[in-house]
Formats: sequence, structure tokens, C-alpha cells
Amino acid sequence: MGGVTRDDLYDAIVVGSGITGGWAAKELCENGLKTLVLERGRHVEHGKDYVTEWLQPWQLPHRGRGEQALYERDYPIQSKNYAFGEATRHFFVNDREHPYVTPHDQPFRWIRGYQLGGRSLIWGRLCWRWSDLDFEANLRDGHGVDWPIRYKDLAPWYAHVERFVGVSGERLGLPHLPDGEFLPPWELNCAEHVVKRGIERAFPGRHMTITRVANLTQALDGRGPCRARNQCARGCSYGGYFSSLSATLPAAQRTRRLTIVTDAIVHSVTYDERKDRATGVRVIDRNTKETREYAGRLIFLCASTLGTAQILLSSATRRFATGLANSSGAVGHNLMDHISKAGASGTVPGLEDKYVYGRRPTGTYVPRFRNLGGRGDAKLGFVRGYGLQAGAGRDGWTRGTELPALGAELKRQLREPGAWQMTLQGYGECLPRQENYVDLDPARTDQWGIPLLRVHCAWSENERAIREDVKTQSAEMLEAAGCKEVETYDHDGPPGFSVHEMGTARMGRDPRTSVLNAHNQAHDVPNLFVTDGACMASSSCVNPSLTYMALTARAVDYAVGELKRGKL
Amino acid sequence: MTSPTAIDRREALRQAALVLGGVLSAPLAAGVLAGCEARGTPDAAWRPRALTPDQAELVATIAEQILPATDTPGARAVGVHRFIDALLAESYRAGERERFVAGLTDLGRAFQASTPDQQRALLERLDREAAPFFRTLKDLTLVGYYTSEIGATRELHHVPVPGRYDGCVPLGQVGRTWAV
Repeated sequence: MGGVTRDDLYDAIVVGSGITGGWAAKELCENGLKTLVLERGRHVEHGKDYVTEWLQPWQLPHRGRGEQALYERDYPIQSKNYAFGEATRHFFVNDREHPYVTPHDQPFRWIRGYQLGGRSLIWGRLCWRWSDLDFEANLRDGHGVDWPIRYKDLAPWYAHVERFVGVSGERLGLPHLPDGEFLPPWELNCAEHVVKRGIERAFPGRHMTITRVANLTQALDGRGPCRARNQCARGCSYGGYFSSLSATLPAAQRTRRLTIVTDAIVHSVTYDERKDRATGVRVIDRNTKETREYAGRLIFLCASTLGTAQILLSSATRRFATGLANSSGAVGHNLMDHISKAGASGTVPGLEDKYVYGRRPTGTYVPRFRNLGGRGDAKLGFVRGYGLQAGAGRDGWTRGTELPALGAELKRQLREPGAWQMTLQGYGECLPRQENYVDLDPARTDQWGIPLLRVHCAWSENERAIREDVKTQSAEMLEAAGCKEVETYDHDGPPGFSVHEMGTARMGRDPRTSVLNAHNQAHDVPNLFVTDGACMASSSCVNPSLTYMALTARAVDYAVGELKRGKL
Repeated sequence: MTSPTAIDRREALRQAALVLGGVLSAPLAAGVLAGCEARGTPDAAWRPRALTPDQAELVATIAEQILPATDTPGARAVGVHRFIDALLAESYRAGERERFVAGLTDLGRAFQASTPDQQRALLERLDREAAPFFRTLKDLTLVGYYTSEIGATRELHHVPVPGRYDGCVPLGQVGRTWAV
């Protein structure tokens, strides 16, 4: 190994600057710890480096149509993500430069943003609390291992992060989708009100609400409010949505205890067998490819589900021959994602004289209504459940290609908006399964000499059954709400596509079957914590980021306490 | 994003942002950017890169039939043919580009052997039948037109920074289709 720099001993090293790395940094710094954040990608400065933020449609070189030949060569995976495009490409990795391996017939779409702030710049921003329906699911139906925590353990930490993030939403009083600390909700539009009434009348117990979303409907701590541009993934100088760059890293910086080093790819965690402690991390400089080390008393891995697994697997020692903190053998296994890209759409009749003002940065949501413990659950043919992300809008000028019209008549028609369309899309829970796993390629490495990650992941019967129910129920609800021309859809959606990958270093009660304890602390290595999606023992059906954030803040609180008690 | 124009524009924006203390107001941003856009190549000096000048002229002619000048300028005036040529040159793979040019050549043969009335009837028939090449050309014409500054801001309605969201307003309050 090359030069070793142990000039500074940090109280804590955080690997990754995305949504959990940012939270770890903020909480560690605010608790008085001298903290180093390592980011493998480039530096991005809030505001200044949002280089496409102010470009109008006519100022994009290809008017949003992008460069197809380039995408096929360099972004064949990233370009499939909904947020990828001409104005956001620079916040996604170049697939050619960042390879990983999948079996030929078993694709996995690994969507990545290697820059300061990580994927918090381009995330979907939906924020849902889990409930005990989720935390008890593994115990109840026997899939995976029991979570070592319950809702009451996390509830105060949900509140803690919601208050800082700024989550807008509507209180529903549903036990399986607990209410939080909300800013005022975004409005439903006229067509969504119609569909909501129709669904709730026809299906007692089902609801439609506005999504709970990290777009500020009111200013908060000098950020926002959101200006309703709906172009979040370009970056937002207003700080209208929550990201590491707009919120957590600046808070950490205000303590003057934060050091950020970018272009620093963590190869592995270093470990001292005699002391039974992690001692720091080994880093490869992205540009010079030189190796160096940093020393820290606490290590927080927040490098993303697959990134963290890769680091642990690369950190084998004599004691941990298959990867650091892997006496259970669970590191890399039980990879999950949510199913999505299936549902139904239909036309909402009437309301021709109504329209919207502004571009709401989110949609509506039908909370889970399957397997809530009522009669009929057994007949469904699947365990767990799904929620539906939804939304309505009027057709715009793009409908013109399909309209049989040309010339002045075509222009006249497109000058007015078309019909209201409503779409429902299912996001379904994925079971933890040992056979969905990542490991290291024994032969091939990337340009930094790091063994390539191999991803083996496929849907099971349960996910396929959920997918079918999503389509049937979505169509039935739209029909019941009076929609016309209702059609189901089912687009290609291999695992990874929902960008909710999780599970590769799961929490659990038993060190023989799980990697982390109830405080996200490695069973095997007391000063090593994992608080990104890798820690998840099951996947729920709701978007996971808020839970990652709450777990991170809770883990920091515990780690700092242990450190002060002299136990670490 | 590496053309001198883009860099000038970014620099101009950065300076404007400094003046305003960091956050650029929308009207000023629009002014700065429009000024930069006006420095584009004048029509006489423009040369197509993927198409021949004749082919580019044919694209401009058909695009103008699809979206003509009315009380607002049409496809030719906003440079839809330039957009299509740039897309062909910079975005399309070689095979796709060749297919487009072959389709254009076929359509051009039928088109140029016809009177204006026959041309109109031909395009209307292709539109009704959703003929594959014509459909592609119509799609690109619509994109080029409605994402142009004139298409977005004069033919349709565009507000770069809405500032709020109202979920149910009278259509008359907005007046036209939102460009974005």
C-alpha cells in the first residue's frame, strides 16, 4: 500500500455523503465529535454547481431529447432512471467507468450518483414512517429475521428528522402509516379530488392522500420554500427540497467540527485484531489512484446498500476471512428492492374548464390496504403489501403526435390542454431472501483496483403475485372512480429499478444470523456502524429514506453515548 | 455544454447571480438568457451537419406544413429544421440517422413531384395512417417547436418559477397549455 497518513485522529469517520452520510455528519458534529466525511465522487457546491438549474427548455442543447448514442454507450443503466436526462446527467455515474457484474439473464439496475450529496440530490423525496405492521412482519410470516426494534423505538427519531427535513403532508390517523410532524400539504388537483372521492366511496378503508414529501411548503431554517418548478434533480438554489447539500452538511459545517474530503474512494475499513476495533479506513484517491489511510474512533458506513457491502467484503482480515463483521455470513445477502412500474391509468371525464397553476413536485398516494389483518387476507395469495403512487394531470402538447390533425388546426387544438389523465403505480414490498446477494468478483477489478461487485438478484413468486394484484386493483379503483379508457400497464422492472435497494448487512437480534444489532452497531466490531439501506431486515412497501435517516440519527445518539461511557 | 455560447451564458448568469446576492430572479434570468440566445448563428450562415442543404430545406418545408405560422410564428421561423439536424448529428446513432435520411428521401420524392394541394393531401394521408417516418418527423417537429422560446412562451404558456401550486384554477386564468 502507498502513503499512509495518520496525522489526524478523527472522532468519527463517515463513509458517504448521501442522505444517511449527511445525517451522520450533522448528528456527530452537533454532538461534539470531530468528524471526517469521505465522498468518492467530486465536490459539488450547493447552488453554484447546479449548472442546469436556470436553463429553459430552449436552452438545453437537445431540448431534453438528450444524446441517445452517448446514453447507450456510457449510461445504458442510469438512463433508464426517471430522473435521468439532459439536465441531470451530470449527477449520475458513467456506467462504463463504474462497472459491476450481473448474470446474463438476471439484470440488476444499480442507479448511482457519485458526488458530494450523492443520490440525495436526485432522490424522489417521499417520506413515510414505518409501523409495527412492518417491524413485526418478518416475525409474523417467517421471512427474514425479526427486527430488533419496534415502532416505539424509532418514533421519536422519526419526529427528530422530520422536524429538520421539512416533510409536507396530511395527517390520516392510520395505524399502519403513522402520522408525523408535517408542514402543510401540497394540494390535490381537481381530477385527483374526483378520483379520491370515487375510491373512498367504493372501497371503505382505502384512502388517497397527497404524498408526504421533503419539498418545503413553508420556509424552514432559511431553506425554501419550494417554488413549484418540479425540476428538483437539477439541484435547487432555493433549498426547496431536502438534500445533504442544502441541509445536513451545512448544519454539520456550522459546528466547525466537520472535514469533507471528496474524490476519496474507500477501499476498506482497517481493523486491529488485538484491540478488536476498527481503526480507520483505507482510501484510494479517485484522480491519482494513490492509497492513504485515515484513522477514526468511530466508523459510520453510509456508502449505500451495495457500496457498504462492497467495502465490508473488501475488508477481510484473518479473523474475518469473508469480510469484516461477517461472522454471520449475512453480509451481502438478503438484497431487496421494491417492485414498481406496474399499475393502471385512465381518463377522468369532464373538468374541461379547470387547470392547475404551477408544477407540483410530487403526486398522490394510496396507502397499503392489503394484509392489514382483516378477513380475506388469506385468499390473496401473497404476504405483505403495496402502496400506490398516483397523480393526475391534463395532457399537453405531446399528445399532438397522436392527434390526427395538421397545420393551423393542430396548433389550435394544442393551444388548449387535453383530457385529465390519472395514473396509479404500485410500489410493493420485496421479501428478504438469502439467494439474492452480492459478492466480489474473484478476478476483475475496477480502474482503482477494487474487486467488482457481482449482483445476483431476482423477484420471487410473492413479488410477482403482488405485481398482478397491483394491476387488478388499480384498474378496479379507477373504474369505480368513474375513469374512462382504463388500462393496466406493466413495464420492464428488474430489481434495482426502484432505487430502494436494501438489506445487505441486516439488523437482527442474533449475531449468528445478522450483521448489526438494534443500534446499527456491528455485532462483531463495536465501533463500526452501518446506517444506510444495508441495515434493513425487511423492506416494507413505503419509500425507505426517512427510515434510514431516523435510524442514522438514533445510531449516532447511541454511539456517542457509548463513546462517552468509554465503551468504544 | 462546452460551446463558447454556453460558457458565456453561464458566466453571465453567475455575474447576475452575484448582483442579486445569490439567487437569480426569473425575469432577469430570462433577459440574460434571451440575450445570449440571440447571438446564435443567423440563418444565412447556418449549415446543416447531418442533412444536405436540400434535405434541411425539405424538413423545414414539411415542418411548416405541420405547424405553420398563424398569429404566432411557425416551425420554420423557430428553426425546427436546425433542431432536427442537430439531433441527427449529435444524438442519433449512425443506423438511425441513415433510416431517417432514407425515410426523408422517400417522402421527398413523392412530395416534390406534387402540387401544393397534392402535397397537403399526401401529408394528411400519412398523418391519418400514422406512417412511421412521418410520425417520427411530426414528433420531432412538435418537440422542436413547443420547446423553442416562441413555442413555449408565445404559442403556449411558460412560467420558469411558478412560486406556488394551485390544484384547481379556471382554465381561463392560465389561458393556454403549459409548455412544461
